[in-house]
Amino acid sequence: MKKSIFWLLPILLLSSCGPSGQDGTSVGGDVSELIFSKFDGNLEKERGAVLHILENDLAKESGYLKELLDGFNEKYAEYGITAVDANLDEYTDLVNSGPYGTGPDVLYQANDSLMKYVPGKHILPIPVDRLECYDQVSQIGWDTFTSDANYNSTFTYGVPVNIQTPLLYYRKDLLPSDWQANWDDNKNNIPDMVETRNSMYQYSKQLKESSGGTKFGFMRAMQDSYFVSGYLFTYGAYIFGNNNKDTKDIGMHKGNAKYGAKFIRDFSAVMDNRCTDLTINATGYSLLANGEMFATTNTPDTTRSYITTFRDVLINPTGQYKMTAEEANKYIDENLVITTLPKMPKNGDVTDPNETEFIDTTMMGGIHGYSISAYTKYPNACLAFLDYATSYELLKKRTETLQLSPAREDLAEVTTPINKEIYNMLENGTIYMMPSIEELALFWPSAQTLFADLATDGLRKDNFRYDTLDKIQAALEKLSKDVYDAIWTLQ
Amino acid sequence: MIKNKSSKPKRYLTTILVYIITVIVCFIFFFPCLWIILAAFSGTGSIYNFNGFFPPNFSLKTFEQLFTGVTDVSGDTVMYPYMTWFLNTLIIACATAVIGTLLLISTAYVISRFEFKARRKLMKGALVLGMFPAFMGMTAVFIMCTQFQLLNNLWGPILMYSTTAPVGYLVQKGFFDSIPTSIYEAARIDGVSNFKAFYKITLPLSKPILVYTVLTQFTWPWSDFILPKLLLQDKSNYTVAVGLMTLPDTEFSRFCAGSVFIAVPIVLLYFFVSKYMVNGLTAGAVKG
Repeated sequence: MKKSIFWLLPILLLSSCGPSGQDGTSVGGDVSELIFSKFDGNLEKERGAVLHILENDLAKESGYLKELLDGFNEKYAEYGITAVDANLDEYTDLVNSGPYGTGPDVLYQANDSLMKYVPGKHILPIPVDRLECYDQVSQIGWDTFTSDANYNSTFTYGVPVNIQTPLLYYRKDLLPSDWQANWDDNKNNIPDMVETRNSMYQYSKQLKESSGGTKFGFMRAMQDSYFVSGYLFTYGAYIFGNNNKDTKDIGMHKGNAKYGAKFIRDFSAVMDNRCTDLTINATGYSLLANGEMFATTNTPDTTRSYITTFRDVLINPTGQYKMTAEEANKYIDENLVITTLPKMPKNGDVTDPNETEFIDTTMMGGIHGYSISAYTKYPNACLAFLDYATSYELLKKRTETLQLSPAREDLAEVTTPINKEIYNMLENGTIYMMPSIEELALFWPSAQTLFADLATDGLRKDNFRYDTLDKIQAALEKLSKDVYDAIWTLQ
Repeated sequence: MIKNKSSKPKRYLTTILVYIITVIVCFIFFFPCLWIILAAFSGTGSIYNFNGFFPPNFSLKTFEQLFTGVTDVSGDTVMYPYMTWFLNTLIIACATAVIGTLLLISTAYVISRFEFKARRKLMKGALVLGMFPAFMGMTAVFIMCTQFQLLNNLWGPILMYSTTAPVGYLVQKGFFDSIPTSIYEAARIDGVSNFKAFYKITLPLSKPILVYTVLTQFTWPWSDFILPKLLLQDKSNYTVAVGLMTLPDTEFSRFCAGSVFIAVPIVLLYFFVSKYMVNGLTAGAVKG
């Protein structure tokens, strides 16, 4: 009898805790009610609040932040609530500033940066269903900012603002003059090299060979894990299992990931050794502007840098073009094209010019959004700011000014066609969302080492290390094991 | 005495060899500086379109952007307020030079001139403490500054630099040791107080070491990165070193211009007071 009571007691205790539900509900009481009690909507009691807003440099540079703050301050003037620029580095770590009273009240950062604050409770769960944007943001967007790490319940900790995923940047004026005759097999008036990777490979090879290695087709840092992991994801790899939450299931070798790794190796051969050097991330703007390369990939937030660098080259009085500012702007509008990524070969062989079956490229992406610091004294004013900053009008202005892709569906439809395409990519899963857990930090270095090795191998003349798919598969399995060991060995 | 006939040509050969090596070493050290200076005057404002090592054309455009703080993109938003950073650096360096020198000189003087019970232990303690790298105490410094409300406050780095300065008192003590004790004994017989002896006798005799101390106390915060990065998080409180490090990759030319300009005052100072510097350093180093 005593024994049975001994076993019964913990079971009773556990059952009294009850199963946790979604959105902060649990048996035995509504946790969300308690957690959200500070968001009582009473702005009067926060009269005189000064909110410190951490935005990114792009918003500041373009003047958008000033517009946003002025608009908010005008709207909430009756409550004496003002928002000011936090004037901190855009990558400021809330962990090092929040507890000491020098951090921002509202932060705008990428999902992986924001969600790393969740386990330490540095950011607040947000009652997002009270926001005007709630119904317009994709569920995948909300899920990205959702965590069950605290309070034994699931809460949303951020409000999605814009989607980041690699896009193709290319120069129309660098297309071969006969492209419509020889590089448009399906006669859809879109160059083949921006439609399929195999055509891009052939064009890159041709450019490199004909210029003696001074001009290139597609070029980028091939060991940059953020940009090249997507080639593996396209063929079925993943970082963490169970929707990027199971850190014991590392899947960088799963599916036909070896095709993606082979792609990295093969494509490096038509670049030069700069593809194994991260500095090309900074020099890429000039390489495209100078015409040294035809195309590259980057995220939408870099568009302004491509445009300004290109314009500098075009208006340079001692340069090749010597254009006026107006001529340069017109030339850029006509020739700098931003589009979705070319499709990948289904058989995984990018060097095969006769491949006819292609699949969509899946690329790693992220969502930048707003969160509220747990150290703020003005949660209601912060929520009001989030509501204002993610409203249709403001996000439209942001999208147009900063040339970003909005996370709101209604905006994606009315702004540029590329924004609609990016939103659809998010919806149909061709954007592999960057895991929102801190273990991700242990993935980057191991992946970068292997990708650099693959890219270097592609540039070798002999003594290849990854010349068979079996060797590539073995390297990928080792990568998965390395990431697992990095996470779990010292746990 | 036997004269070595081959000594003269050998001496010439050695001199030529020394000159060649010196020129090569100077070039190795000077070349990066030259490159930074030329990059700062790059006409395009970018370093990625150079012909080889050097910019294809030159202009003052980057310096104009540096001093106005605006970027090409907006044209009216001050993203990189270099002059504010410069002023902050100047305030921190000047204040540290004054307070740090005062503390350091008085510490060295006391250790040099007075015999007291814990003197030896204090000297040894300071010597051992001086061997630890400064960044070892950074976490403690950060926590202390949060408690004293010195985060995002220029007084934070000023006090940290000044109060740690006396640990390196040895050079100054060496100099004070070289002043004959008899002068002080004569002054004491005339009824001069300790402070007056320091003020009227020691200081006038210690110009070289004073200049050396002020200069070293000034240059340390002028070029330091770690402490201001730790304590000054608000962009309007940045020093030049921290501000320049936050510039994006695309602003390398501005980085070069900022680096060149920040070096100007310190180079001028060294040129004008190098005589005192050498005197102070050698005089302090003779006796330990």
